[in-house]
Amino acid sequence: MERVANRSRSRSIIKKSAPSRDMAPIAVGNVIPDGTLSYFDDKDDLQSVSVHSLAAGKKVILFGVPGAFTPTCSLKHVPGFIERAEELKSKGVDDILLVSVNDPFVMKAWAKSYPENKHVKFLADGLAKYTHALGLELDLGDKGLGTRSRRFALLLDDLKVKVANIESGGEFTVSSAEEIIKAL
Amino acid sequence: MASTILKRTSFSSSSGLRIGGVSLRYFATKVEAGTDIVAATPHNVSLQKARSWDEGVSSNFSTTPLKDIFKDKRVVIFGLPGAYTGVCSQQHVPSYKNNIDKFRAEKVDSIICVAVNDPYVMNAWAEKLQAKDAIEFYGDFDGSFHKSLGLEKDLSAALLGPRSQRWSAFVVDGKVKVLNVEENPSDFKVSGAEVILKQI
Repeated sequence: MERVANRSRSRSIIKKSAPSRDMAPIAVGNVIPDGTLSYFDDKDDLQSVSVHSLAAGKKVILFGVPGAFTPTCSLKHVPGFIERAEELKSKGVDDILLVSVNDPFVMKAWAKSYPENKHVKFLADGLAKYTHALGLELDLGDKGLGTRSRRFALLLDDLKVKVANIESGGEFTVSSAEEIIKAL
Repeated sequence: MASTILKRTSFSSSSGLRIGGVSLRYFATKVEAGTDIVAATPHNVSLQKARSWDEGVSSNFSTTPLKDIFKDKRVVIFGLPGAYTGVCSQQHVPSYKNNIDKFRAEKVDSIICVAVNDPYVMNAWAEKLQAKDAIEFYGDFDGSFHKSLGLEKDLSAALLGPRSQRWSAFVVDGKVKVLNVEENPSDFKVSGAEVILKQI
């Protein structure tokens, strides 16, 4: 696993970045905004779901990545949560939700590339609307990706943000499964 | 088969055009037979060759200017709504992959597949379809290529957002010789390999 940067034991770790135009980044103490994400269910039907309906009354980890099929996301960030899902569940986490600014077809294909995954739900924020509501957009146009999300991991308890580990961009330091387990 | 091939000739752009119940909204398709693709697109429009992230880093995330793709070449290019979607994966790409020898016999220099996806998704998809040998995949990640040709299509209803029509074209030295555009992006009637092979 990656060695994470040394820092104080603050629960909310937000790296500074250029301020987003409209929304301040989500922070500890906020109620997570509602929004719609989409995915293909077991019967391969396209579903849209409200974030609040997924997270209300539960302890949920919501983590986000800049893009499907890009290395840090695919090789480090996501596997970390897949591998430690059982451990997270044993510590009281009800659900682990992954969101990315990709369409649901791409998220489905990307999810399939992790056949060992049992618990992480891959959700599509295709038009970056929810990412915008979280105040976590990142312009990756010069990499051919367009508007995406910063890498982050949130711990939500009945919709309230308890832990917010947010990278300034796509780097992988505070947003890992390892880091959020320390907070449980 | 002529009736099913929408060979676009010039038409009024003021009122838009309804074809088969599908309105072409703000303006009619800009590209048509005779269009010079390189000249018709603004300078800053380019495509991103499908690649892995590492290849992106080592190439400095370079983009490919359209003239490198089209100048002095005989190119068959087809566009589709999205990587990993049904018709695109199961019919459209295989149709070109399976006819590669016939295209080579017609001295086609390259077969190009383009979609409004980022180049990393295009790369993963091309590898999944095992089509990288036959077809060059490019991402039009911000839709600018399709928009400048009037081939964009809003597929928000399908939760895809702004994408493109399903289309195919035969382009020689940058000039569009043949253009086929489906009435509906979910159709696969005029944009397949068999159709365009007869038109080359």
